[in-house]
Amino acid sequence: MSTVERAALDAPESGKGEPPLPPTDSSGRPRSAARAWIWWILRRLGLAIVTLWAISVIVFLSTTALGDPVRAILGKDYEVSPDRVAAITQELNLDKNPVERYFLWLGDLLTGNLGDSVVNNLPVAELIGERLANSIALVLIVTIIMVPVALLIALVSARFRGRAADQTIQVVNLALAGIPEFVTGILLVALLSTTVLHLFPAVTVLPPGEMVWQRPSSLVLPVLTLVISIVPYLARILRANLIEAMDADYTELARLKGVPERSVLLKHALPNTLVPTVQVTALQLAWLLGGVVLIEYLFNFPGIGALLVDSVRNADFPVVQALAMIIAAAYILVNLIADALSILLTPRARTGMVA
Amino acid sequence: MTGSDGQSPPGFSRRGFLRLGALGAVLGATGTLAGCAADATGATTSRLVHGATGGGLKDTLDAHFPVTVPDISRVRNLYETLLRYNPAYEIEAGLAESWEHNPAGDQWTFKLRKDVTFHDGRPMTAEDVATSVKRFADPKEPSAYALTLSKIVDFQSSRALDEHTYQMVLTQPYSVLDQIMANYTLGIVPADYDPANPIGTGPYKYESFVPGQRSQFTAYADHWEHPPTYEELVILDFFDDAAKVNALLAGQVQSVDNLPRYLADVMEPQGANTLVAESGGWTPFTMRVDQEPFSDNRVRQALRLVVNRQEMIDQAFNGYGRLANDLYSPYDPAYIGDQLPQREQDIDQAKSLLKQAGYENLQVELTTSSGIGAGAVEAANLFAQHARQAGVDVRVNKVDSSIFYGDQYLSWPFAQDFWETRMYLPQAEAAALSDGPYNETHFNHPVFEQLIRDAQQEMDEAKRTTLLQDAQQVEHEEGGLIIWGFKSHVDAYSQFVTGFEPVTEMPMSGFRFNLATPVEEGSS
Repeated sequence: MSTVERAALDAPESGKGEPPLPPTDSSGRPRSAARAWIWWILRRLGLAIVTLWAISVIVFLSTTALGDPVRAILGKDYEVSPDRVAAITQELNLDKNPVERYFLWLGDLLTGNLGDSVVNNLPVAELIGERLANSIALVLIVTIIMVPVALLIALVSARFRGRAADQTIQVVNLALAGIPEFVTGILLVALLSTTVLHLFPAVTVLPPGEMVWQRPSSLVLPVLTLVISIVPYLARILRANLIEAMDADYTELARLKGVPERSVLLKHALPNTLVPTVQVTALQLAWLLGGVVLIEYLFNFPGIGALLVDSVRNADFPVVQALAMIIAAAYILVNLIADALSILLTPRARTGMVA
Repeated sequence: MTGSDGQSPPGFSRRGFLRLGALGAVLGATGTLAGCAADATGATTSRLVHGATGGGLKDTLDAHFPVTVPDISRVRNLYETLLRYNPAYEIEAGLAESWEHNPAGDQWTFKLRKDVTFHDGRPMTAEDVATSVKRFADPKEPSAYALTLSKIVDFQSSRALDEHTYQMVLTQPYSVLDQIMANYTLGIVPADYDPANPIGTGPYKYESFVPGQRSQFTAYADHWEHPPTYEELVILDFFDDAAKVNALLAGQVQSVDNLPRYLADVMEPQGANTLVAESGGWTPFTMRVDQEPFSDNRVRQALRLVVNRQEMIDQAFNGYGRLANDLYSPYDPAYIGDQLPQREQDIDQAKSLLKQAGYENLQVELTTSSGIGAGAVEAANLFAQHARQAGVDVRVNKVDSSIFYGDQYLSWPFAQDFWETRMYLPQAEAAALSDGPYNETHFNHPVFEQLIRDAQQEMDEAKRTTLLQDAQQVEHEEGGLIIWGFKSHVDAYSQFVTGFEPVTEMPMSGFRFNLATPVEEGSS
């Protein structure tokens, strides 16, 4: 979870220590603003493509170094199934040299052909599709709940800084942050599903073809577990940001001008914490999407994390490669969106775009 | 061979231990009846949901090549074999109502039942048997239990004699063909079988299948023997022991196989039943008899004497197992492991043997992996502790499953392996003959080889028993295996289901879900 702290440090210039300006009126020169944005997006997309290409090389190199895939796939049967050894070798192009294999793979990837799993011959796209959608659904629901809850806790904490309410929140936050998410999950299951109350299903059981959001009751416990695991971190970072903003000169000036503390917090300090909120949330989002394997295991949640672990264990190249590329692309996309939002939320950066 | 190639329950890591520890604490600390939680999913009594351990993308519906535990449970419900093992691991009639062989033992004739139909309604005939044998005994890709068979079947001469009689002709006599044919991977499928449309004769028909997640089946009402009570069967894959147990306690599944053994005692107060079945499954230490220091039989005997077998069973199997005497196949009629004096820990004797052999400060490396199966790594660590008492320094080298079963598999000097219940002769062919595909110990003993080869062709049961017992005597005295215990299957099922019984061959009542029935209202 140290990514969160890092994210806070790495967050771009958030305009702290600067009074929030009224929204810049860019209607005077809309065309150049639009052009500036297009230019920015193109540049970032270009960078994203270069990054993805570099990642594809790394993914390819690291997957070809996983050991002899044929042995890993067949296990004990390797010795007695020469036909299957030959078939898998051919399917994976293992008889060709690595450079040739890389370009064959890259070509397929670019044309959207993810290939077939080598352990069960099903198309990779089919294997990944529903699980990816389930993982995205989980991430979005967790995010939608987590951000307002964390902001609210941080606001209460910052407003009553040093008082009983704040101290209680801090203690609870620290305690929750110290509990690993699988322990939280097990306790929640015992509390709400198996031992004390019997309100929600303990694991996700989906009829064929159904997606997780069609069974909202089975989403409750995984979502709750993740929210409880992440909110303490987020709330602590946001509280620190809020408090910093409330100690700044401009908030002091606002107070001197007679602005009530409540308004100081909501109108002056809060807007300046939005950028770190966006940045930290973005990293959490990508981390969640990459797979919360323990949570998927505990709730038998059909997401991509367990699939990735399974594929690595089976040395199922095509699935590992496809998932690695998807997760990398998600990281890049989410960060791109976060940066765009950060610019929009930061007056100085926003005006800088068109200046 | 039986789903043990690294697909066993996910590894027992430190983190996993913490996680399970938390689960155990929660379950242990609370004694609430969870019975009222049943049907939290709105399941009707006509649906049985089973939580199977492991599984993943490797899952398959193929009758002859099951890989994972969920696969085995599916195979048992979709397909049936000519002969089969009963719960006590004795051979009984399956789809064949009787079988006989000629005096030489190279022609075996199976009389088929006439009332058996495939799931699409067609009757099962001897032609279907002929094509099934060609498929599972294909020398290029034999099924796990058909390795020997694939080398000796004469496909030219084996044929259907009439609609309900199949004759298998062998290129050489084979005395225990019945022991082979009773194995669950040798199911009878229609002549036009396609695993994508998995048709068999079993009590449940295929409905749907998602590898690594779930499979669904409907009752085959025309089953010849025992049509299921539950109209639907769902088998769910579980990667996580905690999830599996929680699903049972929440009433989302009615049965789970391979319960973590330490939870066996806390299931009853939680409103579930534990099912314990003794089996012939074993997790031996394998010493290569062709490499120093194990090439000296005194070293092998010394290492067999350092093991505190009961402690290993208590700790690695959580007490759910029983003593073994360095011999396998306890269910074989010729088994003598319980007649020979039980080998026990004898540190003085071990030290003296090592001294005689000139290995007083012996150092060895023991290769283990969580992929071998539950309890393997624990047993390896215990072995190191026991050996230290005799002055032997054992370095435990824990490797990943893909490395253990990688290039060096079958050539580790000192390692472990895992086998399910088998009869003696088929097991010896697989793992003790010099040309056996899984001869981990590189055992190559001329007297032993001759005894086994004679037994393969000896049709007289009394004489064969003598041969097999002599062979066991050789392995007991000079073999490279340390066999310290036979594990028990530990499973659990809901108090709303009945009809499960202990089965030696495999967990969860042998996955015979057609015998399960709901508990009547008010009777519990």
